[in-house]
Amino acid sequence: MECVVQGIIETPYVEALEILLQGLCGVHKQSLRVHEICLKSGPNLGFVASEVRLLCDLEQSEPTWTVKHVGGAMRGAGAEQISVLVRSMVESKASKNVLRLFYALGYKLDHELLRVGFTFHFQRGAQITVTVSSVNKMLKLHATDGDGPVPVTPGIQLVEVTAPATSENYNEVVAAVSSFCEYLAPLLHLSKPGVSTGVVPTAAAAAASLMSDGGGTTS
Amino acid sequence: MPLKWVFNWQPNAGSTVNSQILNEVSQCVESMNGVKEGRWKATLTFYKPMLRDQALAAEFPREFIGISLPEQPNKYYFILRGNKIVLEADSSIQLIMEKLQSYKSRVALNFEGFQYQLGDFQLRVGKVVPTHSENLRGIVMEVEYLPISSLEKSKQIMDEFVEIWQEAVSKRSLPGHFMHIEPNFSEYGLADHYTSQHTAVQYAHVMGHLIATVQAVQAGRN
Repeated sequence: MECVVQGIIETPYVEALEILLQGLCGVHKQSLRVHEICLKSGPNLGFVASEVRLLCDLEQSEPTWTVKHVGGAMRGAGAEQISVLVRSMVESKASKNVLRLFYALGYKLDHELLRVGFTFHFQRGAQITVTVSSVNKMLKLHATDGDGPVPVTPGIQLVEVTAPATSENYNEVVAAVSSFCEYLAPLLHLSKPGVSTGVVPTAAAAAASLMSDGGGTTS
Repeated sequence: MPLKWVFNWQPNAGSTVNSQILNEVSQCVESMNGVKEGRWKATLTFYKPMLRDQALAAEFPREFIGISLPEQPNKYYFILRGNKIVLEADSSIQLIMEKLQSYKSRVALNFEGFQYQLGDFQLRVGKVVPTHSENLRGIVMEVEYLPISSLEKSKQIMDEFVEIWQEAVSKRSLPGHFMHIEPNFSEYGLADHYTSQHTAVQYAHVMGHLIATVQAVQAGRN
């Protein structure tokens, strides 16, 4: 299970966001370069269609693979009240044969993306991860290098805040994520995936302020 | 990690496996001064595809196997023998497969028994039983040579040990023998340096022989 919120930020303000995050989190960013391969079950496989994501971390010298299943969101009146999405999520590290395995099992490529950016991992009431990335599509199958990937939304980057949760503690995790997101409000608005809020009008001024501080927030 | 050979018990034509054979084999290890160390257990699961049209079953893998090994409690292994694919993943991959609902567990077997220390060798002798049943389907044995991880470098000493072992077992005049046929690991993309993925592939191949043996017995009866 995980708690998730998303937002968008214009590329010129990403550096300011990084400064803000550095100050809030007290840790250094980690570079992100992940090839995300989204597979769907073929037409005859399963009584319901299924999707699975294979994530290949290209930042390491030897690429590492993760299998990720994102399930349904928590529903009901309680879920609608909270501003954070709570959904089922299971991950597993896997050896490099994983794409071949799923193709052999009858899964087909639905789409693939290349996410390039950075992440912050830190503890603040919950184990929170902030990911800031450009989302790129490949012009040729699996071509993650060279001239291949092009931004899906040029000039705009995706910001995702996630935290793992359980059925016992998700309320605390939701509170921790919501509380953290308030600090980012001058630069961007974060909301449930699928609930689009656009860019924030104060972003330019907030970014200018952060940059003029000389990045001077203490770590 | 140290390399191992996995053997399965091949009954003589017209005979079947039984618990008396298992007892005799265990006694044989102990008579060679094998020190009993404790229990071990591996599990193997056959997965079948959930298909809306059974007529299209030939398009999907006939044998999709999942294996858990005692030496890797946080890992799970998938093998597609027909495609020569082996995958090592975290144990949570089983939960992912459950959530996908595209493949479901059809049959699950336990390989379980005792392990013994014999100098630089570690032996495991185990029965093959369906989970929630004591119906003996086979006997397996693992011979692990602790000092070496290279399949190539260990071949001679493993052959020598197996020769001694087979001679000791043959003195008990049991209706069968242990068989080891090394899979072509390179077809699975596995190298000379031994890993748990090699073990998973060996168990998948042992299952193939076990199934063939059971089918041969059934054909003989019919």
